[in-house]
Amino acid sequence: MSDNLHQAGVKLLKLLSRHSELIMDVYQQGEISEDSRDLNVLQKLETAGVLWRPEKEQGLRLKGTVRALLEESLSDERHRQIDANIGSAIASIKTLAAHYKEAREQADHSSSEAYLNDLSEHVYRFSDSLRHAIRILWGRINNEFGYVGSINAKIRENELAQSQVTELLNGLSLFQFSELTDIAGDIRELRKLLVINMQETLSDCTQELSVVQARLLELLGRFRHIRGRTRLFKGWLLHASLHPDYRPLDHVAHKQVPILFNQADALLASASVDIYNTSQEPELLDMVARIKSISRLHVEPQALASHAAVLLNDEEDFSIPDNPLKQAVDGYFLSVIDSGKPQSALEYLVEHELSWGHESWLYQVIGGYEALSEEHKAYFELAPIGELDPVYTGNFIIRDVELWLS
Amino acid sequence: MSESNETVLVGMSVVIELLLQGEFICRTTHEEAWRALQNPVSRERIEAYLNQINRTVSLAAEGDVFFCGYLQLGDKERKVISGQFKTICNSLTPLVEWLVLVQESSGQDAPLTQGATIRLTELQTRIEDTPAFREQLAKLSHYRLFGSTSSQSDSQLKLIFKRLLELGYLIKPNSEKQIYMATGKLDYLYEVIRFIDETEGLSLEAQAETATQKDLL
Repeated sequence: MSDNLHQAGVKLLKLLSRHSELIMDVYQQGEISEDSRDLNVLQKLETAGVLWRPEKEQGLRLKGTVRALLEESLSDERHRQIDANIGSAIASIKTLAAHYKEAREQADHSSSEAYLNDLSEHVYRFSDSLRHAIRILWGRINNEFGYVGSINAKIRENELAQSQVTELLNGLSLFQFSELTDIAGDIRELRKLLVINMQETLSDCTQELSVVQARLLELLGRFRHIRGRTRLFKGWLLHASLHPDYRPLDHVAHKQVPILFNQADALLASASVDIYNTSQEPELLDMVARIKSISRLHVEPQALASHAAVLLNDEEDFSIPDNPLKQAVDGYFLSVIDSGKPQSALEYLVEHELSWGHESWLYQVIGGYEALSEEHKAYFELAPIGELDPVYTGNFIIRDVELWLS
Repeated sequence: MSESNETVLVGMSVVIELLLQGEFICRTTHEEAWRALQNPVSRERIEAYLNQINRTVSLAAEGDVFFCGYLQLGDKERKVISGQFKTICNSLTPLVEWLVLVQESSGQDAPLTQGATIRLTELQTRIEDTPAFREQLAKLSHYRLFGSTSSQSDSQLKLIFKRLLELGYLIKPNSEKQIYMATGKLDYLYEVIRFIDETEGLSLEAQAETATQKDLL
């Protein structure tokens, strides 16, 4: 018998593992249409009780138990279902305990052992499902119902969780330990299971559930507060648009001014030094001179305190207005080209009645000639006119220069 | 001992100065000062000092915000308070419109509260991408509180943020970054609206709820 069961179980698990891709697809999509899949496989899964069809013309869905297994093992956040049906769990535990006692009294060892096994399984499963429910609740609290977007949805989720906690607590209150103690009587195994084990679980869970409840209420309060704020602002705007000439009443006209509006005028204006006021300059300088920089830490001079931001922008076009003296020199060069004859710079200056000083004119002409590119320089000849210094040999005093085309 | 006393006094004088400058003190703007005001002993001493010049420490938003009020109200003080009240009443609608715009454009559940950060560039992109938000921005930037005359959403937004900095609703922790932080003065603003709502029986929340329900229908 048990051998058969074992084999059937292994077969089922193998079936699940063979079609794991498909099962996860159904888990994520909710249902599956037959079009794209192997009909044989679907049929097999349906007979094995992994998939089922809720209604005709509908796609196949995952069976609740398989879904629950996946949700629990994957700690899926969407897992909202909490088994709060404690009453039926208690009833089945009591029934099994009665079976066990009867078998024991009749000295039917094999069946009493089987019943005890069954009973332990039930009790452990019960504590596990309780702890699991609490874990789920904590998970939801800790991410503040992050799996839903809007604050309204969060509030609804919170209310759902609250109702689940209340149900769990109500269910737990069904436990009458006196009754369980009576059932267990003086049988050691039963006492251990029903009294010691259960009591521990229950007191732990009740305690934790009340903490959960407090946290849920706190969160709900916060959500409502946030929603209240948003609504208050929106309501204000709505009110203002519906009553365009609305003005708040004069709330400060009463004898008792609300503390909220009792706001004193600034007594101290923020002050700063007026560095542009020259009349204060001596005092300011005096103050600055007395400031001492005390640096107890030896700071290494930093080579590069900060990277100056280098911006590579297109340079805007700009022009430097030409120096009029330079322009006049250009004119002189042009006139030499036009006439094609040698011309003295000073004569040109006098002729055109230019206002520059002689010396600066000559410097500019020489400079202008030197500034020409080699190629252009070759077209001109520039010769200084002057005499040797009468006293200091080797010095040549330039009185004028002459320019001609070479 | 004397040294620790001294630091306390120095800290206290800073707090008193801030209060007398008409600043709103919250954790975001002046954390040290805010802590000093949270401490009953130092608060007592500050209060005693202020009382000598007819001032007192007022608080709002359940002690999140402190500011300076008058101890006793004469005609002169009443005049000042009435002026302040008018100023705040005139700025309520523009500020609330701005808060709702920021909340909706960033898709958040909660309106800005103290300590919340706003990245100006992100906000700007989101507003510029949606015509409805752009319109709202244009509308509210022309309120006298902000006083923009520009038609560019970029400069409208910049002006609004500049004004909010000046008015103390925002701070800019790093002058080189376009990241702003909401101050406790926004919570004060909320408190003011709640007060008006409750005393005048406007039931603003209910109005907003029926409006959204109608929208859903």
